[in-house]
Amino acid sequence: MKPAAPLLMLLPAAVLLPLLLLLPQALHGGGWELVGQFAAAALQPSLDPVVLQSLLRGLAITCAVALVGWAVSLVLGVLLGLASARVVWQSLSGRCWPADLLARLLALPRSIHELIWGLLLLQLIGLQPAVAVASIAIPYGTLVARVVRDLLDALPRASLAALLSAGTPAPTALLTTLGPPLLPGLLSYGGYRLECALRSATLLGVFGLGGLGNDLLLSLQSLQFHELWSGLWLLLAVMLPLEALIARLRRHWSMPARLSLGPQTQHRSVGRRGRQMLVLLGSLLLLAWGAARWLQIDPTQLLHWQPLPPLGQGGWQEALALPWPSLIVETLLLTLTAAALAVGAGPLLLLLVAPWRPGRALLQLGWMLGRLWPPPLTALLLLFVLKPGLLPAALALGFHNLGILGRLLREACSAADPAPEQALSSSGSGPRLALLYGRFSRVAGSYLAYGAYRSDVILRETVVVGLVGGTGLGSQLRESLSGFAWQQIGLLLVAYALLTLVGEDLSDRSRRQLLGA
Amino acid sequence: MTALLTLENISVRGRRLPRLDGVNLQLRPGERVALLGPSGAGKSTLLAVANGLLEPDQGQVLWHGEPRAFGARARRRQQRRIGMLWQDLRLIEELTVQQNLNAGRLGAWGWPRALLNLLVPLETQACRELLLRLDLEPGLLVEPVATLSGGQRQRVALARLLRQEPELLLADEPLASLDPRLADGLLALLLREGAAPRALLLSLHRPDLLAGFDRVIGLRGGQLAFDMPRSALTPATLADLYVDATGAAGAS
Repeated sequence: MKPAAPLLMLLPAAVLLPLLLLLPQALHGGGWELVGQFAAAALQPSLDPVVLQSLLRGLAITCAVALVGWAVSLVLGVLLGLASARVVWQSLSGRCWPADLLARLLALPRSIHELIWGLLLLQLIGLQPAVAVASIAIPYGTLVARVVRDLLDALPRASLAALLSAGTPAPTALLTTLGPPLLPGLLSYGGYRLECALRSATLLGVFGLGGLGNDLLLSLQSLQFHELWSGLWLLLAVMLPLEALIARLRRHWSMPARLSLGPQTQHRSVGRRGRQMLVLLGSLLLLAWGAARWLQIDPTQLLHWQPLPPLGQGGWQEALALPWPSLIVETLLLTLTAAALAVGAGPLLLLLVAPWRPGRALLQLGWMLGRLWPPPLTALLLLFVLKPGLLPAALALGFHNLGILGRLLREACSAADPAPEQALSSSGSGPRLALLYGRFSRVAGSYLAYGAYRSDVILRETVVVGLVGGTGLGSQLRESLSGFAWQQIGLLLVAYALLTLVGEDLSDRSRRQLLGA
Repeated sequence: MTALLTLENISVRGRRLPRLDGVNLQLRPGERVALLGPSGAGKSTLLAVANGLLEPDQGQVLWHGEPRAFGARARRRQQRRIGMLWQDLRLIEELTVQQNLNAGRLGAWGWPRALLNLLVPLETQACRELLLRLDLEPGLLVEPVATLSGGQRQRVALARLLRQEPELLLADEPLASLDPRLADGLLALLLREGAAPRALLLSLHRPDLLAGFDRVIGLRGGQLAFDMPRSALTPATLADLYVDATGAAGAS
């Protein structure tokens, strides 16, 4: 008895049942008034010029940090990707092992969330503009490096071999044969990373690294909901056109969507497309340079470390005495709950609103807010009515990732062939069942595969909602960071990295299985 | 006997010319009707109006003498009785043959059975009988549709259509992309299944395949060119239908 593809898509939503059962116990009774005020303020954002001016400044800082961090990560990623690609080492020196060694080393910085980098660097260096940029650039750069490495090593080698055997110097041969096919893949992935960078920069702001996030947090904490919504709408006004622009460019250059389905559109001439891409990339890098100047970023700031407090006596024993098993179990539980919520709720909601056009539009809006909204803010908001613990953390993480997965699901559904669904509804089946059978069957495999990848991201993100308490390693890490307990921090980072690497491996396996099936 | 389906003065606007222009048509149980006409004559549009996929700009569609229902639910109840065989089959590639056959019942089933069908084999006996009826191995039930051959897929699509238990079978050029052997086989099955008490309306681009039909309708420029028993059809009437469309008397 194996559930068929479309049913498999709905199964994760089963997590909603225990959550609904737990909900009454998790409510602490008060706070509904505040939630009501918050919701009502959505339509009445503050238009006070002083507020708007400060928010706009914060938004500019967030955007600049995102752009600079993204640009640095792209440059870093290409360099590291080249340095860790087997094909490069093979053609330059005839050996592969340095590439594999470097790739393995790069897994470590990649496995640590940008927020942890941010908090660590904040402790080491202090509040400098370069800190926020570096905490985005380090994990993103290593992620891009992995993509570049995979892209390079998957490219066919025939033309490279031909050039090399004709006596072309290896660097020239590499650039000629691997450069042009690499560019679209890199830009397609890079565009998506730019969206992520904007979200990350907002998130880092919430934790005091400057920018709009900080304003949002302060407005929320002081219950200035009208100001909070002004900030959120402003952020939306940047995020939405950015997403639309990237999607448009993707189509214009006929790049595969992230969940690429259906027949590929025709390729335009490589030469013209390549030139356009290079021009865009060049101007974005120039813009990033300008933004870096405006932020007064000085890379040498990263070299001036603050004096660290001396390592405490007996710190290691204390670190080892932390309740490791429960920390890890809590982290995993949080990850699974949030992931199931994010993966399962999308298809379920889409089915529910299927026959109802305004409902679909409303769902899009909800998902948009979910993407935009930093999860710790959602968690804080939930604390108005819920007791601290796993539930608000899971809901906050789930909501955020639902926004991301929901958009992908919608894109995939509209890209899938409408004919089977049409055939079903013309034979008298209702719109929901027609959607479930006709379209979900088609998108299920790649959607779930992306969900597996996303679960791995969620594991990394659990640290983000650590402030709610009782969420495993994330909460503990925040405590240890604020107590300068370096031994604990060290061990916690190792634990996080190990978990993430195991998770990455598991999600890779399940993804291959899902796509193979 | 009241007609199953009545089209009264149906018009559908097109971008330049009307796609259908004042078409009147009645289909009675037991009638097997071939719809002929050159490309762009409005055959697909007529079928889309007949199965409720397309709303005509003018005129009325009657089902068992009653106007088409307005409410979504009642409308779906009517559509359930009208089955369509699509040229591209529109099977659900990711599901098994049995799940695909049962997808024909979705209009009649509620959610619990629709979901259960994705988990366990449902109504196996009925599905087996259908496959046997269409000369397919019952063992195919557990196979994913994506693994079937072209001819098997045609029959599975027809089986899903019959699973729907329709009173009227519609088919839009079902033989267009088939080799002659497959085309003959499928046509024979359609004619058999479309016999009384059902009715069959099938659009066709090959006048040489009319032998089994009771009645032939010619469509040209969105208008009825002729509507007559097959026995009354002459080669001259047929030639007129295609010649006029090209506007060139010399077309062979």
